[in-house]
Amino acid sequence: MVDASQGIEAQTLANVYKALELGLAILPVVNKIDLPQAEPELVREEIARVIGIPAERSILASARTGEGVDRILEAVVTALPAPVGDPEAPLRALIFDCKYDAYRGVVVYVRVMDGRLRSGTQIRMMASQGTFTVDEVGIFRPAMAAVEELTAGEVGYLIASIRNVRDSKVGDTITEVARPTKEPLPGYRQVSPMVWAGLFPVDGDDYQGLKEALDRLQLNDAALTFEPETSAALGFGFRCGFLGLLHMEIVQERLEREFQLNLITTAPSVAYQVTLRNGSSVEIDNPDQLPEVGMIETIAEPRVKLEIVVPREHLGGIMELCQERRGEFVQLEYQPPGERALLTYDLPLGEIIHDFYDQLKSRSRGYASMDYQLTGYRAEQLVKLDVLVAGNKVDALSIIVHRQQASNQGRKLVQRLREVIPRQLFEVAIQAAIGGKVIARETVPALRKDVIAKCYGGDISRKRKLLEKQREGKQRMKRVGSVEIPQEAFMAVLSLDR
Amino acid sequence: MIADPGRPLARSLYLHIPFCDTRCPYCDFAIHIGGDHLHQPYVEAVIRELDWLADSRRPQLGLETVYLGGGTPGLLALPLLEQLLAAVEQRFGIAEGAEVTIEANPSGLTEELARSWLALGINRVSLGVQSLDDRALRWLGRNHDSATAEAALRAAAAAGLENLSCDLIYAIPEQPTSVFASGLRRLLSYQPPHVSCYELTVEPSTALARWVTSGRVLGPKEQDFVEQHRLARELLEEAGLLQYEVSNYARPGSESRHNLAYWQGRHYLAAGCGAHGFIDREAAEGLGFSLSPEDVGVRYWNLRNAATYIKQVTVRGHGRRGHEALDHEQRRLELLACGLRLRAGVELSEPRQLVEADRLAHLGLVTIAGNRVAATPRGIEVLDRVTLELAAS
Repeated sequence: MVDASQGIEAQTLANVYKALELGLAILPVVNKIDLPQAEPELVREEIARVIGIPAERSILASARTGEGVDRILEAVVTALPAPVGDPEAPLRALIFDCKYDAYRGVVVYVRVMDGRLRSGTQIRMMASQGTFTVDEVGIFRPAMAAVEELTAGEVGYLIASIRNVRDSKVGDTITEVARPTKEPLPGYRQVSPMVWAGLFPVDGDDYQGLKEALDRLQLNDAALTFEPETSAALGFGFRCGFLGLLHMEIVQERLEREFQLNLITTAPSVAYQVTLRNGSSVEIDNPDQLPEVGMIETIAEPRVKLEIVVPREHLGGIMELCQERRGEFVQLEYQPPGERALLTYDLPLGEIIHDFYDQLKSRSRGYASMDYQLTGYRAEQLVKLDVLVAGNKVDALSIIVHRQQASNQGRKLVQRLREVIPRQLFEVAIQAAIGGKVIARETVPALRKDVIAKCYGGDISRKRKLLEKQREGKQRMKRVGSVEIPQEAFMAVLSLDR
Repeated sequence: MIADPGRPLARSLYLHIPFCDTRCPYCDFAIHIGGDHLHQPYVEAVIRELDWLADSRRPQLGLETVYLGGGTPGLLALPLLEQLLAAVEQRFGIAEGAEVTIEANPSGLTEELARSWLALGINRVSLGVQSLDDRALRWLGRNHDSATAEAALRAAAAAGLENLSCDLIYAIPEQPTSVFASGLRRLLSYQPPHVSCYELTVEPSTALARWVTSGRVLGPKEQDFVEQHRLARELLEEAGLLQYEVSNYARPGSESRHNLAYWQGRHYLAAGCGAHGFIDREAAEGLGFSLSPEDVGVRYWNLRNAATYIKQVTVRGHGRRGHEALDHEQRRLELLACGLRLRAGVELSEPRQLVEADRLAHLGLVTIAGNRVAATPRGIEVLDRVTLELAAS
């Protein structure tokens, strides 16, 4: 699917290559052709040149007006291969998603590869080993509609009074108890998280609620990992692993919106491989876990191959961004020649997760797109930057940075924190330190005046309402030691202007 | 939990008289400019509203404080004032020794007028001096100069009006602290027993707010506030006027009993446009408010526009625009917020609040005696935050 006004983006390209590797049929669709700035014919030609599919095979469509949708459906039938599978063979159904329904338990979304699935079938989840009796099967049109039977090649859902979300794992194979298959389906490759962050409830009483919410999300998000974490500053929470920043934002957003949790998210981190002087090595995904400097031989950080598609006029700014982020130039191609550049860099993943995407967009007026793949680890001169607030180290604010950038980053970080930490009843020192040595310091001056010295008449309601509002705002802050720190302070490192 | 000092009956009455000669650019009170012809119908409307208030079918004990605020109630002609006070006396009774206050401007306050007010039973005058610096008075858009203010102070003394309060504004932009100090010293030479000293606040949708936003004038500065607030306290206390509330100073015994009722969380009736009242549950039910079981009292407020107010009172008997029923928690919060403004402070009994108070005491912001917590001079400068810390704990 290509946007008729944007052309092929980096992620689309990456996904096309993956699909080609797997030998999948490709059906190109040019969407949003109703936009005034749409150039459908140019985009068709671009697809022909870059991906090699003849221009006339790209379907022009608009999801908004519905134009071309009939042609897409027709092409799905004629151009894509029909599912293969044997309805008479033992049941093999792939779980590709599921959701939790408070009344009916887990609703399992399945693709039936072989065999048949109907109400009354005794099924077994091959990995989790649970057995259940199917109550209902159905298809999506797109609301759930019960049917008699799902058979090989069909996609639908099943309900079987499954109460525990852990019994239904995305990627697991369902078979029949009476006539099981020998071989489970290969399922999905386990994707591993690349980015970690701590999630802490602002109100400690919400810890259990956060745990249940994460459990619930993991049900159809196998890439999300979490384990309990304790922070001296933030109390009990979870260290969560995400595929990337977007994934992290989605999870955070869902936790707050769907589960009404008030959360503090710490700055995201990548996983570092630390080799110790005694020869052993550890992997850490939380800067605070970094061993004593004296014990460390090397710290290696993950690197990625970063591909960026960018219009030629913005190339300079984007290359500058990559250089600033310790990137090493790999190659530059123009496709089509002279118009858009495909830029490849070798770059530390840790640099990408800190405000890289927003910078990419702002320096290309929104036109650049990116995709990256992990390539390996490389030892670098990395150090842990600690932050002390009113003399106390705030573990949740520690970050790992390159030695050469450490003092600059430390200075900017404390400046940013001075802006976001409101004035308190006493002066608050904010310091950045490396291995106990302070490299930057800022001060939040004490509040001088905060009282309305005025005659209110008898309007006490106004005063009380103001107080109630302030109290609500205060509850969104975390008291660390004796200092109230707002949620955004823990993400301050993300918005450092470098 | 703070002990509830509210008595079963409101013993205070606030009457709002909106008339003014001009609107000062910083003022956001409910006022009405010009139109003497409205005075008579307005006073009649207020009296009708008193009928409605008196209708709470409760035995009346007599009011201990009556406060004529504004606006400029001093502008009301004597016969109208007499009519109004007679109506109050007739419906509620005014207790022996009650405090009856009128707000007045220096312009027009003569010895004769002050004597007439005393004769009507008005025994306290709150005088809008605001400043004794002519430049500052012009900046504030007041229609009097310092000579007029001083003449009014002399007139009040000559009439034998002992219970005099003077309003004074500080942190006026462009006024140096030294000028503020000499004005205050001059005011103190008249030995007023009560001074209300409040900061210039830029209220939204006033002319001042527009000037500040457009950059025509500078807003009040934090530096000036802190300096002048400290200086005022120092000079006033030196003269024997103690800071009994954030903005109010009095010789012991001369505190405003009416304003104390607000801060101590007592009940008070109110009539007139823009007026706010606070009544207990039983009185509220008597007046036809519908309450839920957990409500402990009702705050109500009236229409702000004088003409609209008169119209509504004529039709419905009252000028009410809105009200809110208070539950126990809201009441508790108010008692805390208001009580902390007083020199005497508040009684706290929740352990968490006492722990927080102890932390604030270590920061030099409050003192604790038993369970009673009171703000220190430094604590008063940041009192809203101190209150928030205690309220949120």
